[in-house]
Amino acid sequence: MTAPTDDILKLDQVAVVYNNVISALHDISLTVPRGKIVALLGGNGAGKSTTLKSISTMLAGERGRVTRGTITYDGTAVKDQQPSDMVGLGMVHVLEGRRCFGHLTVEENIIAGAYSRKLSKGEMQAELDRIYTYFKRLRERRKSQAGYTSGGEQQMTAVARAMMTKPKMLLLDEPSMGLAPQLVAEIFNIAQELNKKEGVSILLAEQNTNIALRNADYGYIIETGRVMLHGPARDLLNDDKIKEFYLGISKEGRKNFRDVLRKEAESHSELYHG
Amino acid sequence: MIEVLFFFEVVLAGLLAGTMYSLVALGFVLIYKASSTFNFAQGAMVFFAVLSFVGFMEQGIPFAAAFVLTVLLMIAVGFATERLVLKPLVNQSEDTLLMATIGLAFVLQGLAQAVWGVEVRRLDLGVGDFPIPWIADNLGLFVSALDVMAGVVAATLIVILALMFKYTKMGLGLRAVADDPGAAASIGIPLKNIMLLVWSAAGFVALVAGMMWGARAGVQFALVDLALKALPVLIIGGFSSIPGAIVGGLIIGVVEKVLEVYVGPSFGGGIEGWAPFVLAIFFLLWRPEGLFGEKIIRRV
Ligand SMILES: Nc1ncnc2c1ncn2[C@@H]1O[C@H](COP(=O)(O)OP(=O)(O)OP(=O)(O)O)[C@@H](O)[C@H]1O
Ligand SMILES: [Mg+2]
Repeated sequence: MTAPTDDILKLDQVAVVYNNVISALHDISLTVPRGKIVALLGGNGAGKSTTLKSISTMLAGERGRVTRGTITYDGTAVKDQQPSDMVGLGMVHVLEGRRCFGHLTVEENIIAGAYSRKLSKGEMQAELDRIYTYFKRLRERRKSQAGYTSGGEQQMTAVARAMMTKPKMLLLDEPSMGLAPQLVAEIFNIAQELNKKEGVSILLAEQNTNIALRNADYGYIIETGRVMLHGPARDLLNDDKIKEFYLGISKEGRKNFRDVLRKEAESHSELYHG
Repeated sequence: MIEVLFFFEVVLAGLLAGTMYSLVALGFVLIYKASSTFNFAQGAMVFFAVLSFVGFMEQGIPFAAAFVLTVLLMIAVGFATERLVLKPLVNQSEDTLLMATIGLAFVLQGLAQAVWGVEVRRLDLGVGDFPIPWIADNLGLFVSALDVMAGVVAATLIVILALMFKYTKMGLGLRAVADDPGAAASIGIPLKNIMLLVWSAAGFVALVAGMMWGARAGVQFALVDLALKALPVLIIGGFSSIPGAIVGGLIIGVVEKVLEVYVGPSFGGGIEGWAPFVLAIFFLLWRPEGLFGEKIIRRV
């Protein structure tokens, strides 16, 4: 596979430590080509959220630090920027667990997303209308207090709010968490639409491997802070090793992915080991 | 009839005094919303602000210029607090932040006295603490002109602050930060600016309260304690509620005046000083989240 020439995001051998002692990422290298959707997969504690936070510089707020490696976003080295600087550069992070402003209305939440932009009243209304064409449900719920809306509506509000920053790149952390399959499908459809129509590149962290890969162009599987495997989403979706680990259970029962890989060392698939 | 009128007078005086408590409590609420911290230094800020204002006037600076200068000084204090105290403590527990504001209180009190001296100053706002003749003649009510001015000024400021909070972009930013600072940061709301804003607003409120109180009782250290009456106000109203601060202030104002007049004599007076705190303790037992305390919305 030839390396894409226009990558919006590139992580090279990134390591992250929390509180100066807890090592969360050991060696993460990944690339998001401009305009593509890339899935970052892994189980609980694999380091998905940490990876996203290292990119959006939300780590500092949790006493985490990148100790090694480089992160390059759209030609800029990500070092000691603030999250608001990253938003200024066109990157926005939809945090795990939705995190709506509970006491604000749905529409106030969305408007808050435009905080960093200078919009006139008319421009703001035009932006809201544009957002509501993707998130149709939210238009009806716009006057409701966000804290009292459903989980799916809150997830949509969080993504809609992020889209109001007018991003070039969206980091999505587990949008499917705790949602019914039908809603998950709806959210992923919206993500697809935003990707196609707004041209926004997406890095998507998910535990829900199946739906993530069906909506992504490329996937990375990480475990304990390391990339174990990566490849085009279609290939990963059809890969027996992944099926065995994430869906089926092998004869010896569930095991970690490293063991699956070791057993299949002679693998001739066109997947790339990290 | 006389008694009814008198009671009316007492209640009115309480309401007017209460607006000032509401205003000072509002200063606390703004900071509490932005950083979940009880700003123990609010009382010291009142003292610092008005003492500096009087100090500037003593240097021959005219009233208006001294006022503007003090406002700028309070913004600088807010800026320095954000930079030197709060920023290094970001991600620390709320207890640590409370400690930091206690430290700040001592620094401000010490600094004010070191620069301007310790003696009690008089402050003349051109309005005396005596009944307004027109009201006395026509309604038979004796209300102090100073009380009325303080009440009107405080009420005006409260309305302006509440409207800003509800309808301006900065207000929206502050409400967002109050709900979830991390999420606010993730969409590019600069926490630093919001902090600067609330500390400046608290500083401005402190100056106005200091001037009104100082005009009545003299500019002196006791203002620090007076400002701490915002604590019972907040317990009654709820720490994060703007309507709570307003109503709580009025309740405290009226209750302490009524008690002072009707019950005070049997305690030998001075009941105003502690009655609000006793009332607050009853509230703590009865309704710990305060009258208007925001419900914590949890939904999964
Ligand atoms: N704020 C923090 N302080 C200390 N350690 C942390 C912190 N956040 C995460 N960790 C640790 O870092 C590792 C990676 O966590 P991370 O949240 O990135 O995993 P994840 O892949 O997002 O998991 P999940 O699917 O459960 O969200 C875990 O071992 C976790 O305990
Ligand atoms: Mg996570």
